[in-house]
Amino acid sequence: MEEDFELLAKFKKGDQQAFESLVRKHKMAVFNTIYSIIGDAQEADDIAQEVFLKVYTKAGSFKRKSSFPTWLYRITVNRCVDELRKRKNKIISLETEFDQDEKLKLKDVLASKEGDITEELKRKELEDIIQKAMNSLPERDRIILTLKEMEGLSYKEISQIMKISLAKVKVWLFRARQKLKGKLSFLYPEE
Amino acid sequence: MSCKKFRVLSSAYLDQEITKDEEKKLLNHLKTCPDCARELEYLKQIKGIFILKGKKEPREFFETRLFERIKNKGKQPIWQAYFPVFKRSIVVILIFFSLILGWVSYKKLFYHRTTEIISDLLFDEQSDENFEEALLETYYGPHG
Repeated sequence: MEEDFELLAKFKKGDQQAFESLVRKHKMAVFNTIYSIIGDAQEADDIAQEVFLKVYTKAGSFKRKSSFPTWLYRITVNRCVDELRKRKNKIISLETEFDQDEKLKLKDVLASKEGDITEELKRKELEDIIQKAMNSLPERDRIILTLKEMEGLSYKEISQIMKISLAKVKVWLFRARQKLKGKLSFLYPEE
Repeated sequence: MSCKKFRVLSSAYLDQEITKDEEKKLLNHLKTCPDCARELEYLKQIKGIFILKGKKEPREFFETRLFERIKNKGKQPIWQAYFPVFKRSIVVILIFFSLILGWVSYKKLFYHRTTEIISDLLFDEQSDENFEEALLETYYGPHG
């Protein structure tokens, strides 16, 4: 965390290399967060660039009230929300229904104890299936699941990024998991 | 505590975000409630799904492309850099001017109509004659 503050301080003094180091350090987290929420790698790359462009211009306004990653995640999530709202107006339909083949593949992997998948092609297919399930969820659920499951953030960090209470993080995560379970209901025996 | 609350707690338990006391209560409940115990297993599976989802890399030359954009942003004219802000301001200014224009036209119309009515009253010859006749009658009685 201190390293981020140091790099930011250097960048504020005009050190471009420091900014490049910050980008190199956080680009994966930013890109993967966006990809998991938006569901399109090409767009995620473009939005990730916009996020860092914003960091470049707004670095001066960063106060040390939160950690740098929290601030960065907040910018990222806000940009994703803007994008999803824009899409709502454009009515872009992402395919969210699973076909029989996809259902079987996911079932097979989850049935194997370790969930071990060595083949690159199979892994890629499975990633697409999981992303499809994520795309079918409402915006709020996608964000909270991404921050928790993909980025491994704590409830406290999520509450700071989404500006909600810890109790809400707990409930929203539970509901998001319930909805995801509903989308993947073919994996579970009927109750 | 209801089963619903225990299920929310189960989700937080998987994330190791509950207190020791809550954990104790939850584990005791799970021993006696097979439905909640099954729900916990499902939640574990849902959580497990994300382990399968690996991390992706952004497109090649991410930093180079970014610095190119930063350089171009510095080159572009100020109005272009702030175009999104301008766009919003233009809408607000347009609304403001249409309101003023609407108000002015309404006022103008109202003034026009009022002057028309007043001038009608001022130049209504018939009512002038009636008035004069009524005045004569008052002073000299009916028919002079």
